[in-house]
Amino acid sequence: MSVSDPVGTYLEELEKKSIAIIREAKAQFKNPAALWSTGKDSTAIIWLCRKAFFGKVPFPVIHIDTGCKFPEIYEFRDRLAKEWGLNLMVAKNEEAMKTGVSPQRDRFECCTLLKTQALKNLLEKEKYDALILAIRRDEHGIRAKERYYSPRDEDFKWNYEDQPAEMWDLYVKPSEDFTHMRVHPILHWTELNVWQYVKREGLPVNPLYFAKNGKRYRSLGCQPCTVPISSNAQTIDEIVKELETSKIPERAGRAQDKEKAYMMQKLRSLGYM
Amino acid sequence: MSLSKINLVVIGHKDHGKSTLIGRLLYDSDAIPEQKLQEVEAELKKAGDAGFRFAFLLDTLEEERRGGLTIDIMHTPFKTKKHLYTIIDCPGHREFIKKMLTGASQADAAVLVVSAKEGIEDQTRQHAFLVKTLGINQLVVAINKMDQVGYQQGVFLKTCRSLDEILAPMGFKDIAKVPISAFNGDNVFTESKNMKWHNGSTLVDTLDSMVKPLESLSDKPLRGCVQDIYKQEDNAIVVCKIETGMLETGKTVCFSPSGKTGVIKAIEAFGTRLKKAKPGDSVGLVLEEAQDIPRGEVVSYPESRAKRARTFTANIILFSDVEMRNGDVCVVRCGTAERKCRVEAILTEIDPVKLTIRATSPRVLMGGGVGEAKFLPLEPLCIERHSDFPPLGRFVIEGKKGPVGTGIVLNVEQDEVPCAEAA
Repeated sequence: MSVSDPVGTYLEELEKKSIAIIREAKAQFKNPAALWSTGKDSTAIIWLCRKAFFGKVPFPVIHIDTGCKFPEIYEFRDRLAKEWGLNLMVAKNEEAMKTGVSPQRDRFECCTLLKTQALKNLLEKEKYDALILAIRRDEHGIRAKERYYSPRDEDFKWNYEDQPAEMWDLYVKPSEDFTHMRVHPILHWTELNVWQYVKREGLPVNPLYFAKNGKRYRSLGCQPCTVPISSNAQTIDEIVKELETSKIPERAGRAQDKEKAYMMQKLRSLGYM
Repeated sequence: MSLSKINLVVIGHKDHGKSTLIGRLLYDSDAIPEQKLQEVEAELKKAGDAGFRFAFLLDTLEEERRGGLTIDIMHTPFKTKKHLYTIIDCPGHREFIKKMLTGASQADAAVLVVSAKEGIEDQTRQHAFLVKTLGINQLVVAINKMDQVGYQQGVFLKTCRSLDEILAPMGFKDIAKVPISAFNGDNVFTESKNMKWHNGSTLVDTLDSMVKPLESLSDKPLRGCVQDIYKQEDNAIVVCKIETGMLETGKTVCFSPSGKTGVIKAIEAFGTRLKKAKPGDSVGLVLEEAQDIPRGEVVSYPESRAKRARTFTANIILFSDVEMRNGDVCVVRCGTAERKCRVEAILTEIDPVKLTIRATSPRVLMGGGVGEAKFLPLEPLCIERHSDFPPLGRFVIEGKKGPVGTGIVLNVEQDEVPCAEAA
């Protein structure tokens, strides 16, 4: 098998590690939840959770709704939640939305209030002690500094200067000093791996990823802050092919990554994903 | 074609050029997206910096770039003709040892960067010693900043000689050394015209020829760590991560230290059943007769079963801020088990920077110290010699906010009380 299908073998290795991490999180934490944007990465995570627990995801799946997501995102979310029997929780900061927060006014404030704060509110209410997230090292320089398990304090802060040691696969334990743990089961995957996996497993894909009129979305965010890239890729195979040769970063269409130098670092240190 | 995967940790004293070397490797191998380069250039321009800094490709935190030092580890993939490497960049500063250890615990091999200009310094010795203590046996040395010493062979040879004096006693013998300038790119990815006296082998060639993927663990006796048990209406699935050996359906297995036994009825994966499971697999075991198997148990075959440890000795690396005393009770995490153990005796203490024995039977191991200690498990524990079963021969010592130290097991005195007689 390894001789005839090196990609398949490689994906199996990635998958096993991710499944082991997800099972560790379930065993170690009392009240975990997974974050789901409906994008390719977090959909892959939900799928891995289904695999890890033999079909039924045993914890809630959170969607952070800023009210300005693409209509395709809501459609995809509701359809799949039903199909996969997910316990969907929507995190929404309605209070901030009423005050007219917008990227035009202040993008940093908008991301922090509508995403980070919305999540924080739900976490406080539901007392989740672990959040399973689909970030990957290859997405952004700051995310490459992450661990598989990454504790957050009561202010939600990521103390990147003093992260606990993560030796082998002995991930950090829950502690009273952490309000919650971020768990990153696909940290070691690349964008290309995710698409290869989507293809191999036949996972459903949000239609925004496929090219229409020479443009497609490579990373899904909020409508005002996400722009499509030039592409003619209309199938998963074409996306894989495009990525094998592309030199454009994945999050090139995401405004919060590059508005100012270190904006992503500052967003993340406050609890952004 | 399938490339084998190698995790490579880059170690060495601060400012000897670890991040610059990795930045150079990525740059020369065309692994950096154009937009990333533009971003780095713009950032440098703003800071009023004229030259391009390769380290900026790795050091992405604002504090790292402004301060010119790496604060936290970074994983970056990098491909050669032979291997798919993941390079782990580590901070060289002495305060960041636990981050360096985190990076090293994921590595199959290490690259030690030593500046030809500055020569061997504290963390050159300390990092080499710590990776060896963690069980990393593959090492390649890059003698950096050759451009700053006029590319002189004499300086290179002198640095090599002093390195051999410290590396050989650690057990690193016949280590390949490559003279490079990460800043100018000499002998990193392409052969240098400035050092004709060198044999021509670049750092990348040397890595490709010297570094090998770790040996497979599937030929060893079976060991698996129970992660959890999922109880369903009609059965119970014992979820287990296989560490060594092969698990097969139909065989009788032993769970240690409880001593329970059972016959594997099925190995479950989602939507399918497996005949066998191999190291790295996390699988669901269904036993002929359902039993309550708790997290932390070790699965093995009766003929080569995992035994309880009466005592064990280990090389301990303590992170800063903590100390360990004779008689202390600590929580040891090994595999999925967490057990209270008492420190019976601290046998030696080694100065990891000077590489000298500080004391024999010192009673206390100071923060940041390295030494050999003997432990007595106060609760039943299966732990193995690192040389026999690496994944079950390493552990962490728990603190309030994560591990405060780590250990590699040298010897185990096993309890002869057998598991319940196998069926």
